[in-house]
Amino acid sequence: MSEARITRILMISPDSSVTSDQLVRKVHTIDDGLSVKETCYGCLIESDEKTMSKVMAVVRETYHNEVFSKVRGFPMGDPRRCRAQHGTRPGYSQLEAEWECLPLIQSALDDIDAGNTEYTVPEEKKPLSVRQMKEISEAFR
Amino acid sequence: MKIFIDPPNSMILFDLVERFGHEPLSTMAVIQEKVDNIEVDMPPMNVTLDDVVKGLKYAGVEVPSGVRGRMALWGPMIEAADAAIIIDEPPFSFGCVGCDRSNELAKYLLKRRKIPCLTVKYPSNEEEAKTMVGQIKDFLGGLGE
Amino acid sequence: MTIRIAELSCGTEYSGVQFEIESAARSVGAKIVYPDVSYDQVKEALDRFGFTPKSPQLQLMIARAISLADGKYDADAVFITTCFRCAEAALVRNELRRFIQENTRLPVVTYSFTERLKASQLLTRMEALVTIVSRKELLARERQTGLTAGLDSGSSTTKCVIMENNKIIGKAWTTSGDVVQSATQVLNEAMEMAGVELKQIEAFGTTGYGRFTLGDHFKAKLVQEELTVNSKGAVWLANRQKGEATIIDIGGMDNKAITVRDGVPDNFTMGGICAGASGRFLEMTAKRLKVPIDQLGDYAVKGNWVNAKMNSYCSVFGIQDLVTTLGAGKTFEDVAAAACHSVAEQVYEQQLQEVDVRRPIIQVGGTSLNKGLVKAIGEVLGDEPIVPADSQYIGAVGGALLSSGFL
Repeated sequence: MSEARITRILMISPDSSVTSDQLVRKVHTIDDGLSVKETCYGCLIESDEKTMSKVMAVVRETYHNEVFSKVRGFPMGDPRRCRAQHGTRPGYSQLEAEWECLPLIQSALDDIDAGNTEYTVPEEKKPLSVRQMKEISEAFR
Repeated sequence: MKIFIDPPNSMILFDLVERFGHEPLSTMAVIQEKVDNIEVDMPPMNVTLDDVVKGLKYAGVEVPSGVRGRMALWGPMIEAADAAIIIDEPPFSFGCVGCDRSNELAKYLLKRRKIPCLTVKYPSNEEEAKTMVGQIKDFLGGLGE
Repeated sequence: MTIRIAELSCGTEYSGVQFEIESAARSVGAKIVYPDVSYDQVKEALDRFGFTPKSPQLQLMIARAISLADGKYDADAVFITTCFRCAEAALVRNELRRFIQENTRLPVVTYSFTERLKASQLLTRMEALVTIVSRKELLARERQTGLTAGLDSGSSTTKCVIMENNKIIGKAWTTSGDVVQSATQVLNEAMEMAGVELKQIEAFGTTGYGRFTLGDHFKAKLVQEELTVNSKGAVWLANRQKGEATIIDIGGMDNKAITVRDGVPDNFTMGGICAGASGRFLEMTAKRLKVPIDQLGDYAVKGNWVNAKMNSYCSVFGIQDLVTTLGAGKTFEDVAAAACHSVAEQVYEQQLQEVDVRRPIIQVGGTSLNKGLVKAIGEVLGDEPIVPADSQYIGAVGGALLSSGFL
């Protein structure tokens, strides 16, 4: 990955009471060498790698399981990917879909943090055997 | 450890891998290398004919160019991965992962490498979410540094 | 006014061709846009459309098409494009093209690309989309007025037509050599036939490969791609200006299949990567059989293609097949019929799958003078095409007709 810049998406879980505005104000206070752009789902942040590590550590510490993040390939406001230029970028629906799932992930993480680390892996459902299917069908005769 | 995530642009997987102390390998990082290359001017992604030709390493010329272009970018990541986490049939996979054939091929190449590989089910309720997150945490925890 | 072309596509960015598509659009004054859709709209769209492809990008294409059909997103034309050799995408591409045509009045063009696509290959198609949108009134013109000339500079032949008060009064053609020289020659011949002088001609219209060079040279009022110009010429010549039709133009280098509504194209395909599917193949056959090209069709109508089956569509191997068949004692007639049938079959398999053939079928261009090829197209499509008089002059007629709109 390029050392020159890191751009990240910070996305607030829909179940969180944190607002984009609050998040933006918070990250602004962490370091000067950071560009921030508020979005409907949270914000975009951009800086060098060292600053980004510092910012991410604070974000994780402060918002814990309420804010999620991934890196973004394009710089902030890049006209090649800007929505105003062409319309939505192809990955937009993906972000939307994942955003809808965040409350489930948030609650699972909260649960694990509370010490409830047990979980069950459901058994794979197998299709009915032909013999069983035949029996059922014959019962309807 | 370097963890290949599938879908390779998934925010949830990227976040969880990082949260649990490993390095996610994602398409975003590869795309960044492309878009930051000032010597190429092929917007939006600076994927060039040369890249698509490089994809021949993974799929023959009779395979659509979109598959080969993707493999040119993902292939080296798959080769660099120490382990992988795959979400089975996620309801979302747009943009970078819009081509089902490429997604299938990526999964196969991961399995062929015989690296530790966890497949999880996309959750539809809290119970399933706990299973998915728990499985990922345990899998990553068991990989070591 | 910038024309907004909505792109419904899969694979363009990872094939490295998105830039080429956008360059082609930009060079004709258009802009590529993607209709905005939300994740929920994608789910809804798939239910409504009734086809759920496995690839999510194809799902997104469907949602974008529905957004256009519902008028939720504003665009002037539609460009549907997917990777060559992807079966799933080919199904979606064709069904979406049909859906757009049934549910909107937007002109649409489909294209399957490889990674080697260059902007220049798309120029004519993009230009045609822009013409259809920006020159609606001009394209609605059904009568030629004044004294005008049309010049069609094609890859094989150059044609000129002079028209006065909606009648052809002069015409000439020659094989294409130097663009300006060939055009000057046919213009002089046509003027001589019409009994007019250059200074009397009120407007020029140019089309075909050499249109820009000729446009500059003759200070043409109309310089326009051959898809829209040929369509107008075809419906004028066939007297089918109203209603629907399909125009088939098998050219020396590329083939066009255009569906029109009131003389204006709403869908078209162009092909031109295989000589075996073009007029060039018939030329080569004639040469190999040592018969004049204008007699090949007469031989063909008397023959039966079944007797001289070819194993290859290729212009090299296919012709070899024909020669071998001839050596085995089959008649010239059967071999000529097989050559015509081969071209017709390929046009059917390659071009006509990308448009919905509407009746009547109007066959035009130089190859429409070949009766054998017209018969073969009729056999393949199950309906004899109309071949209007002067069918080889469609481009020139269209040029003369449309340029009179500038008087």
